Amino acid sequence: MAEPLHAVTAHSSADPGILLAQGQEDLVVGDELVRFRYYTRVVHWGVALTFFVCLFTGLPIWTPIFGWLAALFGGLQVCRWLHPWTGIAFAVFALLQFVHWAGEMRLSAADKRFTANFLAYLRWETHDEDTGKYNGGQKVLFWLSTLASLGLLVTGVVLWWPQFFGAQLREVSWVLHDLTFILFMLMIFGHIYLAIAEPGTFSAMVKGTVTKAWARLHHPAWYRDVTGDSRR
Amino acid sequence: MAIPGLEVLQASASLRGTGTGLRKLPTVSKLIDTSTCIGCKACEVACQEWNDLPNAKTSQHGNYQTLPTMNAEFWNLIKFNETEVDGSFAWLMRKDQCMHCADPGCLKACPAPGAIVQYSNGIVDVNPEQCIGCRLCETGCPFDVPRFSETTGKMAKCTLCVDRSVVGLEPACVKACPTGCLHFGTKEDMLELGNERVKQLKGDGYASAGLYDPQGVGGTGVVTVLKHADKPELYGLPRDPTVPTAVRVAKGWLRPLGLLGMGAVVLGLVGHYLRFGPREPPKGPPSSTPTAA
Repeated sequence: MAEPLHAVTAHSSADPGILLAQGQEDLVVGDELVRFRYYTRVVHWGVALTFFVCLFTGLPIWTPIFGWLAALFGGLQVCRWLHPWTGIAFAVFALLQFVHWAGEMRLSAADKRFTANFLAYLRWETHDEDTGKYNGGQKVLFWLSTLASLGLLVTGVVLWWPQFFGAQLREVSWVLHDLTFILFMLMIFGHIYLAIAEPGTFSAMVKGTVTKAWARLHHPAWYRDVTGDSRR
Repeated sequence: MAIPGLEVLQASASLRGTGTGLRKLPTVSKLIDTSTCIGCKACEVACQEWNDLPNAKTSQHGNYQTLPTMNAEFWNLIKFNETEVDGSFAWLMRKDQCMHCADPGCLKACPAPGAIVQYSNGIVDVNPEQCIGCRLCETGCPFDVPRFSETTGKMAKCTLCVDRSVVGLEPACVKACPTGCLHFGTKEDMLELGNERVKQLKGDGYASAGLYDPQGVGGTGVVTVLKHADKPELYGLPRDPTVPTAVRVAKGWLRPLGLLGMGAVVLGLVGHYLRFGPREPPKGPPSSTPTAA
Protein backbone atom coordinates (compact mmCIF):
# COMPACT_ATOMS: atom_id res chain seq x y z
CA MET A 1 0.00 0.00 0.00
CA ALA A 2 1.33 3.41 -0.94
CA GLU A 3 2.44 5.72 1.83
CA PRO A 4 0.01 8.64 2.14
CA LEU A 5 1.20 11.60 0.16
CA HIS A 6 1.22 14.06 3.11
CA ALA A 7 3.56 11.76 5.01
CA VAL A 8 6.11 12.00 2.26
CA THR A 9 5.78 15.72 1.68
CA ALA A 10 5.69 16.69 5.35
CA HIS A 11 9.45 16.59 5.80
CA SER A 12 10.70 17.38 2.33
CA SER A 13 10.45 20.06 -0.27
CA ALA A 14 11.29 17.62 -3.10
CA ASP A 15 8.82 16.63 -5.79
CA PRO A 16 6.47 14.15 -4.09
CA GLY A 17 6.24 12.16 -7.31
CA ILE A 18 9.98 11.67 -7.38
CA LEU A 19 9.98 10.58 -3.73
CA LEU A 20 7.25 8.05 -4.32
CA ALA A 21 8.99 6.80 -7.44
CA GLN A 22 11.82 5.58 -5.26
CA GLY A 23 9.92 2.50 -4.26
CA GLN A 24 6.70 2.17 -6.21
CA GLU A 25 5.29 2.69 -9.66
CA ASP A 26 1.85 2.89 -11.31
CA LEU A 27 0.58 5.56 -8.89
CA VAL A 28 -1.03 8.98 -9.25
CA VAL A 29 0.72 11.93 -7.63
CA GLY A 30 -1.02 15.22 -8.26
CA ASP A 31 -0.81 15.92 -11.97
CA GLU A 32 1.69 13.13 -12.58
CA LEU A 33 1.84 9.37 -12.77
CA VAL A 34 4.74 7.36 -11.39
CA ARG A 35 5.84 5.22 -14.33
CA PHE A 36 9.23 3.76 -13.33
CA ARG A 37 10.44 3.23 -9.81
CA TYR A 38 14.08 3.61 -8.81
CA TYR A 39 15.03 -0.03 -9.44
CA THR A 40 13.49 -0.02 -12.93
CA ARG A 41 15.39 3.13 -13.84
CA VAL A 42 18.71 1.95 -12.40
CA VAL A 43 18.50 -1.31 -14.33
CA HIS A 44 17.55 0.47 -17.55
CA TRP A 45 20.36 3.02 -17.14
CA GLY A 46 22.75 0.17 -16.38
CA VAL A 47 21.77 -1.46 -19.64
CA ALA A 48 22.02 1.85 -21.50
CA LEU A 49 25.42 2.93 -20.17
CA THR A 50 27.08 -0.46 -20.60
CA PHE A 51 25.52 -0.66 -24.06
CA PHE A 52 27.13 2.60 -25.07
CA VAL A 53 30.51 1.78 -23.56
CA CYS A 54 30.39 -1.49 -25.51
CA LEU A 55 29.33 0.38 -28.64
CA PHE A 56 31.95 3.11 -28.36
CA THR A 57 34.76 0.65 -27.58
CA GLY A 58 33.55 -1.73 -30.29
CA LEU A 59 33.10 0.79 -33.11
CA PRO A 60 36.82 1.69 -33.35
CA ILE A 61 37.61 -2.04 -33.50
CA TRP A 62 34.94 -2.44 -36.19
CA THR A 63 36.31 0.27 -38.46
CA PRO A 64 39.08 2.89 -38.19
CA ILE A 65 36.53 5.50 -39.30
CA PHE A 66 35.49 5.48 -35.62
CA GLY A 67 39.08 5.29 -34.41
CA TRP A 68 38.64 8.66 -32.68
CA LEU A 69 36.16 7.07 -30.26
CA ALA A 70 39.01 4.95 -28.89
CA ALA A 71 40.61 8.14 -27.57
CA LEU A 72 37.67 8.54 -25.16
CA PHE A 73 38.89 5.45 -23.33
CA GLY A 74 42.66 5.84 -23.75
CA GLY A 75 43.26 4.10 -27.05
CA LEU A 76 42.50 0.94 -28.94
CA GLN A 77 44.41 -1.30 -26.54
CA VAL A 78 42.15 -0.15 -23.70
CA CYS A 79 39.09 -0.71 -25.88
CA ARG A 80 40.26 -4.24 -26.55
CA TRP A 81 39.94 -5.28 -22.88
CA LEU A 82 37.26 -2.82 -21.81
CA HIS A 83 34.90 -4.04 -24.53
CA PRO A 84 34.53 -7.69 -23.43
CA TRP A 85 34.42 -6.91 -19.70
CA THR A 86 31.78 -4.23 -20.23
CA GLY A 87 30.02 -6.78 -22.39
CA ILE A 88 29.75 -9.03 -19.34
CA ALA A 89 28.36 -6.12 -17.30
CA PHE A 90 25.88 -5.40 -20.10
CA ALA A 91 24.79 -9.04 -20.13
CA VAL A 92 24.18 -8.90 -16.36
CA PHE A 93 22.06 -5.73 -16.61
CA ALA A 94 20.25 -7.13 -19.64
CA LEU A 95 19.41 -10.25 -17.66
CA LEU A 96 18.13 -8.18 -14.70
CA GLN A 97 16.03 -6.12 -17.09
CA PHE A 98 14.71 -9.24 -18.79
CA VAL A 99 13.63 -10.77 -15.48
CA HIS A 100 12.12 -7.45 -14.40
CA TRP A 101 10.06 -6.83 -17.54
CA ALA A 102 9.48 -10.19 -19.26
CA GLY A 103 6.14 -10.74 -17.51
CA GLU A 104 4.71 -7.47 -18.84
CA MET A 105 5.87 -7.91 -22.42
CA ARG A 106 3.30 -10.34 -23.83
CA LEU A 107 1.78 -8.80 -26.97
CA SER A 108 -1.93 -7.99 -26.64
CA ALA A 109 -4.38 -7.52 -29.52
CA ALA A 110 -3.79 -3.75 -29.29
CA ASP A 111 -0.02 -4.31 -29.43
CA LYS A 112 -0.39 -6.36 -32.58
CA ARG A 113 -2.48 -3.57 -34.09
CA PHE A 114 0.29 -1.17 -33.08
CA THR A 115 3.05 -3.11 -34.83
CA ALA A 116 0.85 -3.69 -37.89
CA ASN A 117 0.29 0.07 -38.13
CA PHE A 118 3.85 1.04 -37.24
CA LEU A 119 4.32 3.31 -40.26
CA ALA A 120 1.07 5.12 -39.51
CA TYR A 121 2.29 5.46 -35.92
CA LEU A 122 5.48 7.10 -37.20
CA ARG A 123 3.27 9.62 -38.98
CA TRP A 124 1.70 10.27 -35.53
CA GLU A 125 -1.63 9.11 -36.99
CA THR A 126 -2.51 6.28 -34.59
CA HIS A 127 -4.14 6.40 -31.20
CA ASP A 128 -5.35 3.17 -29.64
CA GLU A 129 -7.39 3.42 -26.42
CA ASP A 130 -6.30 -0.15 -25.55
CA THR A 131 -2.56 0.60 -25.49
CA GLY A 132 -1.30 -0.34 -22.04
CA LYS A 133 1.81 0.59 -20.08
CA TYR A 134 4.00 -0.61 -22.95
CA ASN A 135 3.01 -0.37 -26.60
CA GLY A 136 3.61 -3.00 -29.26
CA GLY A 137 6.75 -1.28 -30.49
CA GLN A 138 8.30 -1.26 -27.03
CA LYS A 139 7.45 -4.91 -26.53
CA VAL A 140 8.90 -5.97 -29.86
CA LEU A 141 12.01 -3.93 -29.04
CA PHE A 142 12.21 -5.73 -25.70
CA TRP A 143 12.18 -9.18 -27.31
CA LEU A 144 14.55 -8.24 -30.14
CA SER A 145 16.95 -6.65 -27.62
CA THR A 146 16.86 -9.80 -25.52
CA LEU A 147 17.65 -11.89 -28.58
CA ALA A 148 20.41 -9.51 -29.70
CA SER A 149 21.97 -9.37 -26.22
CA LEU A 150 22.05 -13.13 -26.04
CA GLY A 151 23.55 -13.34 -29.53
CA LEU A 152 26.22 -10.75 -28.75
CA LEU A 153 27.11 -12.54 -25.50
CA VAL A 154 27.48 -15.97 -27.10
CA THR A 155 29.40 -14.80 -30.18
CA GLY A 156 31.42 -12.41 -28.04
CA VAL A 157 32.63 -15.21 -25.80
CA VAL A 158 33.84 -17.11 -28.88
CA LEU A 159 35.69 -14.02 -30.16
CA TRP A 160 37.15 -13.36 -26.70
CA TRP A 161 38.62 -16.86 -26.28
CA PRO A 162 39.24 -18.10 -29.85
CA GLN A 163 41.65 -20.78 -28.64
CA PHE A 164 38.78 -22.86 -27.31
CA PHE A 165 36.74 -22.87 -30.54
CA GLY A 166 37.15 -24.20 -34.06
CA ALA A 167 37.83 -22.01 -37.08
CA GLN A 168 34.30 -22.34 -38.47
CA LEU A 169 32.60 -21.38 -35.22
CA ARG A 170 34.94 -18.38 -34.91
CA GLU A 171 34.09 -17.28 -38.43
CA VAL A 172 30.33 -17.61 -37.91
CA SER A 173 30.59 -15.78 -34.56
CA TRP A 174 32.49 -12.92 -36.14
CA VAL A 175 29.87 -12.36 -38.84
CA LEU A 176 26.95 -12.75 -36.41
CA HIS A 177 28.53 -10.41 -33.82
CA ASP A 178 28.90 -7.71 -36.49
CA LEU A 179 25.45 -8.25 -38.00
CA THR A 180 23.74 -8.30 -34.59
CA PHE A 181 25.44 -5.18 -33.28
CA ILE A 182 24.61 -3.24 -36.46
CA LEU A 183 20.90 -4.07 -36.25
CA PHE A 184 20.81 -3.60 -32.46
CA MET A 185 22.54 -0.23 -32.73
CA LEU A 186 20.09 0.99 -35.38
CA MET A 187 17.13 -0.16 -33.25
CA ILE A 188 18.52 1.73 -30.25
CA PHE A 189 18.98 4.84 -32.38
CA GLY A 190 15.24 4.65 -33.11
CA HIS A 191 14.41 3.95 -29.46
CA ILE A 192 16.29 7.02 -28.25
CA TYR A 193 14.92 9.16 -31.07
CA LEU A 194 11.34 8.36 -30.09
CA ALA A 195 12.09 9.36 -26.50
CA ILE A 196 13.14 12.73 -27.88
CA ALA A 197 10.43 13.08 -30.52
CA GLU A 198 7.73 12.35 -27.97
CA PRO A 199 8.37 15.03 -25.33
CA GLY A 200 7.72 13.97 -21.75
CA THR A 201 9.02 10.45 -22.32
CA PHE A 202 12.54 11.00 -21.09
CA SER A 203 11.25 12.18 -17.72
CA ALA A 204 9.98 8.63 -17.08
CA MET A 205 13.55 7.35 -17.13
CA VAL A 206 15.02 10.32 -15.22
CA LYS A 207 12.52 11.35 -12.55
CA GLY A 208 10.36 8.26 -12.88
CA THR A 209 7.21 10.30 -13.49
CA VAL A 210 5.18 11.38 -16.51
CA THR A 211 2.37 13.88 -16.87
CA LYS A 212 -1.25 12.76 -17.05
CA ALA A 213 -1.55 14.28 -20.51
CA TRP A 214 1.43 12.23 -21.71
CA ALA A 215 0.01 9.04 -20.28
CA ARG A 216 -3.44 9.63 -21.84
CA LEU A 217 -1.85 10.24 -25.22
CA HIS A 218 0.65 7.38 -25.34
CA HIS A 219 -0.63 4.76 -22.92
CA PRO A 220 -4.37 5.36 -22.45
CA ALA A 221 -5.25 1.93 -21.01
CA TRP A 222 -2.45 2.25 -18.46
CA TYR A 223 -3.70 5.75 -17.61
CA ARG A 224 -7.19 4.43 -16.95
CA ASP A 225 -5.87 1.55 -14.83
CA VAL A 226 -3.71 3.78 -12.65
CA THR A 227 -6.09 6.71 -12.27
CA GLY A 228 -9.36 4.79 -12.16
CA ASP A 229 -10.63 7.41 -14.59
CA SER A 230 -12.58 5.35 -17.12
CA ARG A 231 -13.43 8.23 -19.47
CA ARG A 232 -12.14 7.51 -22.94
CA MET B 1 58.66 -0.70 -36.42
CA ALA B 2 59.61 0.94 -39.65
CA ILE B 3 62.31 -0.90 -41.54
CA PRO B 4 64.74 1.63 -43.10
CA GLY B 5 64.65 1.37 -46.86
CA LEU B 6 61.38 -0.54 -46.94
CA GLU B 7 58.07 1.06 -47.77
CA VAL B 8 54.81 -0.28 -46.42
CA LEU B 9 52.64 -1.41 -49.31
CA GLN B 10 49.50 -2.07 -47.28
CA ALA B 11 48.70 -1.85 -43.59
CA SER B 12 45.86 -3.29 -41.51
CA ALA B 13 42.86 -1.06 -40.81
CA SER B 14 44.28 1.66 -43.04
CA LEU B 15 43.25 2.99 -46.41
CA ARG B 16 46.79 2.46 -47.64
CA GLY B 17 50.26 1.92 -46.35
CA THR B 18 53.00 4.52 -46.24
CA GLY B 19 54.43 3.42 -49.54
CA THR B 20 54.48 5.61 -52.61
CA GLY B 21 55.02 2.62 -54.84
CA LEU B 22 57.61 4.63 -56.77
CA ARG B 23 60.48 2.39 -55.69
CA LYS B 24 59.82 -0.93 -57.35
CA LEU B 25 61.21 -3.68 -55.18
CA PRO B 26 61.07 -7.26 -56.38
CA THR B 27 58.88 -9.58 -54.30
CA VAL B 28 61.12 -11.83 -52.26
CA SER B 29 60.40 -15.49 -51.67
CA LYS B 30 61.65 -18.53 -49.88
CA LEU B 31 61.69 -21.85 -51.68
CA ILE B 32 61.23 -24.96 -49.56
CA ASP B 33 62.09 -28.22 -51.29
CA THR B 34 60.41 -30.75 -48.99
CA SER B 35 61.89 -33.60 -51.03
CA THR B 36 65.42 -32.81 -49.84
CA CYS B 37 64.55 -31.90 -46.24
CA ILE B 38 66.19 -34.35 -43.84
CA GLY B 39 64.42 -33.06 -40.73
CA CYS B 40 67.63 -31.93 -39.00
CA LYS B 41 65.91 -28.85 -37.53
CA ALA B 42 68.92 -26.60 -38.10
CA CYS B 43 66.43 -24.03 -39.42
CA GLU B 44 64.51 -24.17 -36.12
CA VAL B 45 67.68 -23.44 -34.15
CA ALA B 46 68.79 -20.69 -36.52
CA CYS B 47 65.37 -19.04 -36.25
CA GLN B 48 65.46 -19.08 -32.45
CA GLU B 49 69.02 -17.73 -32.42
CA TRP B 50 68.62 -14.95 -34.93
CA ASN B 51 65.34 -13.72 -33.49
CA ASP B 52 66.59 -13.96 -29.87
CA LEU B 53 63.84 -16.40 -28.97
CA PRO B 54 64.29 -18.65 -25.91
CA ASN B 55 64.95 -22.37 -26.03
CA ALA B 56 61.68 -24.23 -26.36
CA LYS B 57 60.74 -26.89 -23.84
CA THR B 58 60.20 -29.87 -26.11
CA SER B 59 57.70 -32.63 -25.62
CA GLN B 60 57.43 -36.14 -27.02
CA HIS B 61 54.35 -36.98 -29.08
CA GLY B 62 55.46 -40.16 -30.78
CA ASN B 63 57.40 -38.51 -33.58
CA TYR B 64 60.44 -36.34 -34.20
CA GLN B 65 58.58 -33.04 -34.02
CA THR B 66 60.00 -30.47 -31.58
CA LEU B 67 56.59 -29.14 -30.55
CA PRO B 68 53.01 -30.09 -31.40
CA THR B 69 52.48 -26.67 -33.05
CA MET B 70 54.23 -23.34 -33.40
CA ASN B 71 53.88 -20.80 -30.61
CA ALA B 72 54.54 -17.11 -30.04
CA GLU B 73 58.21 -17.89 -29.29
CA PHE B 74 58.67 -20.56 -31.95
CA TRP B 75 57.93 -19.39 -35.50
CA ASN B 76 59.46 -22.15 -37.59
CA LEU B 77 58.53 -25.77 -36.96
CA ILE B 78 59.38 -28.84 -39.03
CA LYS B 79 56.25 -30.99 -39.16
CA PHE B 80 56.85 -34.73 -39.44
CA ASN B 81 53.93 -36.43 -41.12
CA GLU B 82 53.88 -40.22 -41.23
CA THR B 83 51.36 -41.37 -43.78
CA GLU B 84 50.64 -43.73 -46.64
CA VAL B 85 50.87 -42.79 -50.29
CA ASP B 86 49.84 -45.27 -52.98
CA GLY B 87 49.96 -48.14 -50.54
CA SER B 88 53.44 -47.51 -49.21
CA PHE B 89 54.77 -45.65 -46.18
CA ALA B 90 55.74 -42.02 -46.64
CA TRP B 91 57.60 -39.83 -44.18
CA LEU B 92 56.79 -36.29 -45.21
CA MET B 93 58.51 -33.31 -43.64
CA ARG B 94 57.35 -29.77 -44.05
CA LYS B 95 58.59 -26.47 -42.73
CA ASP B 96 55.61 -24.80 -41.03
CA GLN B 97 55.88 -21.01 -40.88
CA CYS B 98 54.16 -17.85 -42.09
CA MET B 99 53.46 -18.16 -45.82
CA HIS B 100 53.66 -14.38 -46.47
CA CYS B 101 50.55 -14.35 -48.69
CA ALA B 102 50.27 -11.76 -51.42
CA ASP B 103 46.68 -11.30 -50.21
CA PRO B 104 47.12 -11.71 -46.45
CA GLY B 105 43.97 -12.73 -44.54
CA CYS B 106 45.59 -11.74 -41.22
CA LEU B 107 46.15 -8.18 -42.42
CA LYS B 108 42.59 -7.97 -43.75
CA ALA B 109 41.20 -9.25 -40.44
CA CYS B 110 43.33 -7.01 -38.21
CA PRO B 111 41.40 -4.04 -36.69
CA ALA B 112 44.44 -2.17 -35.35
CA PRO B 113 45.83 0.39 -37.81
CA GLY B 114 49.30 -0.64 -38.90
CA ALA B 115 49.58 -3.68 -36.59
CA ILE B 116 50.07 -5.96 -39.59
CA VAL B 117 51.87 -4.59 -42.62
CA GLN B 118 53.00 -5.84 -45.98
CA TYR B 119 56.26 -4.30 -47.12
CA SER B 120 56.91 -3.43 -50.73
CA ASN B 121 59.03 -6.58 -51.08
CA GLY B 122 56.01 -8.70 -50.14
CA ILE B 123 56.99 -9.61 -46.58
CA VAL B 124 54.08 -9.63 -44.11
CA ASP B 125 55.09 -8.46 -40.64
CA VAL B 126 53.53 -7.75 -37.23
CA ASN B 127 54.10 -4.38 -35.53
CA PRO B 128 53.92 -5.15 -31.83
CA GLU B 129 53.53 -1.45 -30.94
CA GLN B 130 50.22 -1.35 -32.75
CA CYS B 131 48.99 -4.88 -31.96
CA ILE B 132 46.09 -4.90 -29.48
CA GLY B 133 46.09 -8.67 -29.02
CA CYS B 134 42.52 -9.22 -30.21
CA ARG B 135 43.48 -12.46 -31.99
CA LEU B 136 41.29 -11.79 -35.04
CA CYS B 137 44.31 -12.51 -37.27
CA GLU B 138 44.15 -16.11 -36.01
CA THR B 139 40.73 -16.40 -37.62
CA GLY B 140 41.89 -14.45 -40.67
CA CYS B 141 44.81 -16.75 -41.48
CA PRO B 142 44.01 -19.74 -43.72
CA PHE B 143 47.27 -21.44 -42.62
CA ASP B 144 46.79 -21.22 -38.83
CA VAL B 145 50.04 -19.30 -38.36
CA PRO B 146 49.72 -16.22 -36.07
CA ARG B 147 50.32 -17.07 -32.43
CA PHE B 148 49.18 -15.08 -29.40
CA SER B 149 51.60 -14.64 -26.52
CA GLU B 150 49.96 -14.72 -23.09
CA THR B 151 53.05 -13.01 -21.66
CA THR B 152 53.21 -10.06 -24.05
CA GLY B 153 49.54 -9.92 -25.04
CA LYS B 154 50.64 -9.58 -28.67
CA MET B 155 50.74 -11.71 -31.78
CA ALA B 156 53.98 -13.07 -33.20
CA LYS B 157 55.06 -14.97 -36.29
CA CYS B 158 57.86 -15.42 -38.84
CA THR B 159 59.09 -12.11 -40.30
CA LEU B 160 60.90 -13.80 -43.20
CA CYS B 161 63.90 -12.19 -41.44
CA VAL B 162 62.96 -8.81 -42.88
CA ASP B 163 65.82 -7.29 -40.87
CA ARG B 164 68.23 -9.55 -42.79
CA SER B 165 66.65 -9.46 -46.23
CA VAL B 166 66.55 -5.66 -46.28
CA VAL B 167 70.35 -5.62 -46.08
CA GLY B 168 70.78 -8.33 -48.67
CA LEU B 169 71.06 -11.39 -46.44
CA GLU B 170 69.01 -14.54 -46.71
CA PRO B 171 66.78 -15.52 -43.77
CA ALA B 172 68.53 -17.30 -40.90
CA CYS B 173 66.81 -20.63 -41.64
CA VAL B 174 68.02 -20.57 -45.26
CA LYS B 175 71.55 -19.75 -44.08
CA ALA B 176 71.55 -22.72 -41.72
CA CYS B 177 70.02 -25.40 -43.99
CA PRO B 178 72.71 -28.04 -44.66
CA THR B 179 71.05 -29.82 -47.60
CA GLY B 180 70.23 -26.81 -49.71
CA CYS B 181 66.53 -27.53 -49.54
CA LEU B 182 65.92 -23.87 -48.62
CA HIS B 183 66.53 -21.05 -51.08
CA PHE B 184 65.88 -17.33 -50.96
CA GLY B 185 65.59 -14.77 -53.73
CA THR B 186 63.07 -13.02 -55.91
CA LYS B 187 59.76 -14.77 -56.34
CA GLU B 188 60.48 -15.08 -60.03
CA ASP B 189 63.80 -16.85 -59.41
CA MET B 190 62.30 -19.14 -56.78
CA LEU B 191 59.49 -20.19 -59.12
CA GLU B 192 62.03 -20.99 -61.83
CA LEU B 193 64.20 -22.96 -59.41
CA GLY B 194 61.19 -24.75 -58.00
CA ASN B 195 59.85 -25.69 -61.43
CA GLU B 196 63.24 -27.13 -62.38
CA ARG B 197 63.23 -29.24 -59.25
CA VAL B 198 59.68 -30.39 -60.00
CA LYS B 199 60.79 -31.46 -63.48
CA GLN B 200 63.63 -33.44 -61.90
CA LEU B 201 61.27 -35.12 -59.44
CA LYS B 202 58.88 -36.05 -62.23
CA GLY B 203 61.81 -37.59 -64.09
CA ASP B 204 62.59 -39.56 -60.95
CA GLY B 205 59.11 -41.08 -61.06
CA TYR B 206 57.18 -38.66 -58.83
CA ALA B 207 54.46 -38.04 -61.40
CA SER B 208 52.39 -35.80 -59.12
CA ALA B 209 55.28 -33.59 -57.98
CA GLY B 210 54.52 -29.88 -58.11
CA LEU B 211 54.87 -26.40 -56.64
CA TYR B 212 52.62 -25.19 -53.84
CA ASP B 213 51.96 -21.49 -54.50
CA PRO B 214 48.20 -21.23 -53.81
CA GLN B 215 46.55 -18.61 -56.01
CA GLY B 216 43.52 -18.28 -53.72
CA VAL B 217 45.65 -15.98 -51.56
CA GLY B 218 47.34 -14.39 -54.55
CA GLY B 219 50.30 -16.74 -54.28
CA THR B 220 52.59 -17.01 -51.26
CA GLY B 221 55.99 -15.64 -50.41
CA VAL B 222 56.94 -19.14 -49.34
CA VAL B 223 56.89 -21.53 -52.29
CA THR B 224 56.99 -25.24 -51.52
CA VAL B 225 58.08 -28.15 -53.70
CA LEU B 226 55.93 -31.19 -52.91
CA LYS B 227 56.46 -34.74 -54.18
CA HIS B 228 52.71 -35.24 -53.83
CA ALA B 229 51.39 -31.85 -54.90
CA ASP B 230 48.04 -33.42 -55.77
CA LYS B 231 47.52 -34.11 -52.06
CA PRO B 232 48.82 -31.09 -50.08
CA GLU B 233 46.70 -32.28 -47.13
CA LEU B 234 49.26 -35.05 -46.58
CA TYR B 235 51.70 -32.31 -45.56
CA GLY B 236 49.12 -30.48 -43.48
CA LEU B 237 48.66 -27.79 -46.15
CA PRO B 238 45.16 -26.62 -47.14
CA ARG B 239 44.19 -27.61 -50.70
CA ASP B 240 42.83 -24.27 -51.85
CA PRO B 241 43.37 -21.63 -49.16
CA THR B 242 41.60 -18.28 -49.49
CA VAL B 243 41.01 -15.29 -47.24
CA PRO B 244 38.29 -16.75 -44.96
CA THR B 245 34.69 -16.05 -45.96
CA ALA B 246 34.00 -14.39 -42.60
CA VAL B 247 36.70 -11.78 -43.20
CA ARG B 248 35.39 -11.06 -46.68
CA VAL B 249 31.76 -10.88 -45.50
CA ALA B 250 32.47 -8.82 -42.36
CA LYS B 251 34.88 -6.35 -43.96
CA GLY B 252 33.65 -6.37 -47.54
CA TRP B 253 29.87 -6.41 -47.01
CA LEU B 254 28.71 -5.91 -43.44
CA ARG B 255 30.98 -2.97 -42.73
CA PRO B 256 30.00 -0.82 -45.73
CA LEU B 257 26.35 -1.82 -45.37
CA GLY B 258 26.44 -1.05 -41.64
CA LEU B 259 27.96 2.36 -42.23
CA LEU B 260 25.39 3.04 -44.93
CA GLY B 261 22.64 1.90 -42.53
CA MET B 262 23.92 4.21 -39.79
CA GLY B 263 23.96 7.15 -42.17
CA ALA B 264 20.54 6.33 -43.57
CA VAL B 265 18.94 5.91 -40.14
CA VAL B 266 20.45 9.12 -38.73
CA LEU B 267 19.38 11.08 -41.81
CA GLY B 268 15.98 9.39 -41.71
CA LEU B 269 15.41 10.34 -38.08
CA VAL B 270 16.44 13.95 -38.68
CA GLY B 271 14.15 13.99 -41.71
CA HIS B 272 11.34 12.50 -39.63
CA TYR B 273 11.69 15.18 -36.97
CA LEU B 274 11.67 17.94 -39.58
CA ARG B 275 8.63 16.48 -41.33
CA PHE B 276 6.50 15.34 -38.39
CA GLY B 277 7.99 17.22 -35.45
CA PRO B 278 7.57 16.34 -31.80
CA ARG B 279 4.38 14.63 -30.72
CA GLU B 280 3.35 16.85 -27.81
CA PRO B 281 0.66 15.75 -25.37
CA PRO B 282 -2.40 18.01 -25.80
CA LYS B 283 -2.49 21.10 -23.60
CA GLY B 284 -5.48 21.98 -21.48
CA PRO B 285 -7.42 20.31 -18.69
CA PRO B 286 -6.98 16.55 -18.35
CA SER B 287 -10.70 15.98 -19.06
CA SER B 288 -10.27 16.82 -22.72
CA THR B 289 -10.05 13.57 -24.60
CA PRO B 290 -6.79 13.26 -26.52
CA THR B 291 -7.05 12.35 -30.14
CA ALA B 292 -4.54 11.71 -32.82
CA ALA B 293 -2.31 14.75 -32.97
